[in-house]
Amino acid sequence: MKNFSRFARGTGVVLIVLAIWEILGRLELVGQGALPAPTQILAQLWKDRSDYPPHLSVTLKSAGTGFVIGNIIAIIAGAIAARFRIAETLLRGLGMSLFAVPLIAIVPVLLLAFTGTTPRIILAAMAVYFPTYIATMNGMRNVDERLVDVVMVAGGSTTDVLRWIRVRSALPYIVSAFRVAAPAALLGTLLAEFGGGTRWGLGTYLLGSLGQANPSRLWSIGLVATAVAASAYMLFAFIGARLTQSSMSATVQTSLPMGGATGPWWKRLGGGVISAGVVLGLWALVLSILDMSPVVAKSPFAIVRYLTTDPRASVSRSRLFDAYSETLPLALIGLLCGLAAALLLAVILSLRPALGRAVLPFALVSQTMPLPALTPLIVLVFGRSILATVVVCVSVTFFPSFVTILQALATTSPAAIDVVRVSGGGRLKSLRFVGLPGAVPAMVTAARLAAPRALLGVMIAEYLATGDGLGNLLNESRGRLDYGMIWTVATTSVLVAVLITQLFGLAEKLTRQ
Amino acid sequence: MSTLQEVAGGALRVQNVERTFALKDDVVRALDKVSLEVPVGSFISLIGPSGCGKSTLLRLLAGLESPDAGSLLIGDKTPNEMRTAGRLGVAFQDPALMPWRSVWKNITLPLQVMGKPVKDFKTVIEELISLVGLQGFEHALPSQLSGGMRQRVAIARALVTEPEVLLLDEPFGALDEILRRTMNLELQRIWSARRPTTILVTHSIEEAIFLADKVAVMSARPGRIIEIVDVPFERPRVPEIMRSSEFHHLADRLSELLFAGGGH
Repeated sequence: MKNFSRFARGTGVVLIVLAIWEILGRLELVGQGALPAPTQILAQLWKDRSDYPPHLSVTLKSAGTGFVIGNIIAIIAGAIAARFRIAETLLRGLGMSLFAVPLIAIVPVLLLAFTGTTPRIILAAMAVYFPTYIATMNGMRNVDERLVDVVMVAGGSTTDVLRWIRVRSALPYIVSAFRVAAPAALLGTLLAEFGGGTRWGLGTYLLGSLGQANPSRLWSIGLVATAVAASAYMLFAFIGARLTQSSMSATVQTSLPMGGATGPWWKRLGGGVISAGVVLGLWALVLSILDMSPVVAKSPFAIVRYLTTDPRASVSRSRLFDAYSETLPLALIGLLCGLAAALLLAVILSLRPALGRAVLPFALVSQTMPLPALTPLIVLVFGRSILATVVVCVSVTFFPSFVTILQALATTSPAAIDVVRVSGGGRLKSLRFVGLPGAVPAMVTAARLAAPRALLGVMIAEYLATGDGLGNLLNESRGRLDYGMIWTVATTSVLVAVLITQLFGLAEKLTRQ
Repeated sequence: MSTLQEVAGGALRVQNVERTFALKDDVVRALDKVSLEVPVGSFISLIGPSGCGKSTLLRLLAGLESPDAGSLLIGDKTPNEMRTAGRLGVAFQDPALMPWRSVWKNITLPLQVMGKPVKDFKTVIEELISLVGLQGFEHALPSQLSGGMRQRVAIARALVTEPEVLLLDEPFGALDEILRRTMNLELQRIWSARRPTTILVTHSIEEAIFLADKVAVMSARPGRIIEIVDVPFERPRVPEIMRSSEFHHLADRLSELLFAGGGH
């Protein structure tokens, strides 16, 4: 009965929200029709039904191919890193870059090097790599040492341990990484579709519908993209639940590799330099394999020359600097707002659990909607303004931060809370004296995890709508065939993003001490 | 190979074995000139305070680690040769079962590692399962079993390769006292069926006496064997002997030795 009443209440909340949405939409109360009623969106979806199959099939094919390729590479890399410490050090730079890079900055570069749907497949594979790599490495490492002894005593070798224990132990970790990776592959594909390549694809369809003043169509494309992302997520959640017979954490650990480097500072620095060298080496290798014209393809040295000795270097530098000084503050503001919203909801949830439960489903839905599809909708509602950019940023940083903070609040020591209670304090007091101080390190962790998403959110908003900052610089440089700038934005954005996450990582270490 | 039988193999000889561990700013001598002889088919218990190196000695015998000095031989083979030939069996305090495998499949693991066809061992596995009293639970997963049952699976797994030497590292350490006594009786029965040369590491003086032909007492820092005491009781032993004055006398003597050796 209790389950039923909870279910009934949940359904009630959803129905009320849908009703309010319907009224807001029918009366065009939000942004002069920017938020159509649910029934209007469904009607549009029905009208456009023949448009979807060709677009959707191209997108699914690219995302699926990228998903498979990216995961195969990630699993092999993760297995090698689990076995050899040195490999982990070498691969750290690659993992960190792929975790932090705002994928949209890579799109123009990929479009220079490849044609057709290849850029989409590559971007999907890049989006998939990090979660699966980390899960494979941790899953293969964190095995029952006694079980390893059992296999060794039975005459086994390290290969036997890999075959009989490590692979199977890592499986649930890997499948739960797939849950994260599948929507990420879709995100990568959609972003690359914004860049062009062929006339088909959900992202292309979305981009083409932007100027049509038809909010219902944008919303229905957004909903279809959400449905695809959500079903991919649920497919792997289902497989994961079938697979995991013993209970294990369903969350993917993303915190290890950043703070993972240990040892004296010179060793860590050396490891960092070497792993950065690996990334540069891969870059040079890919360029030499592709055999592209040096006019189009830029090596790391060419980028340094572009910004220093080139006759127009000072102009390029100032354009780049201007773009960053527009983009970074917005990303920071968005990140802080997202963190604040996450903290607020986490606090509400721990004080008034019922209220929190009512809000949570909507937070979840907003989370499954792929960022490239969400951004135009936010721009529709809030206009082409700084506000829209910040809202995009908040919407991508909010949820991961919320989960991290909530975990911290939930794990505060019951004994410490009892101390406050015994001294006459209530829920609010225990939150103030025990919960919140305990949540500070979690806030910093959340900031580290969310910072790359904040940067990506701002750049997508700039690219699609506001015409400012880095996103716009990418757009302009493509139009002007300014290859040097395209490569420079891609490279510097990776560097800046890695630097920011490293700074947050450092802050995290300090607050955890 | 189709049914359980008594094992052959050679006596176990440990001579002047040394093993040290380097800690941050200290060197721990886990084993200091340890010597021990165990005849074929006999059962010896190792007792001693925490940190006396008894588990280290077991790991050396299992071929999982190597000594810094001295020699360990089983017949004319080194532990590592015995290990790679699959002639050893181990069970730990933690049953260390694969959570995704059924009871039956957990027991077959060592056979699979050794590359032996599991179907040739069907009778052996069936006999082992009934020996450890797990009939009807062949297809249960470890999460569906109680602590004692999991430990029985671990012991069956240790025996499936018909090992010549059985190494037990506090196999019942995590069980409660009552269950532990039941398991001691069971272990005696299981062991008597094939009589592999067995070394049992334990914290419990009663368990050590009840099961073993000899009890070796170790001291800590440095880890040494300070005395080896004969256990005179006839086999099969019944729980009632634990109440005999002879048993109490022996237990008193062992605890005196433990305390003298810088024990608990």
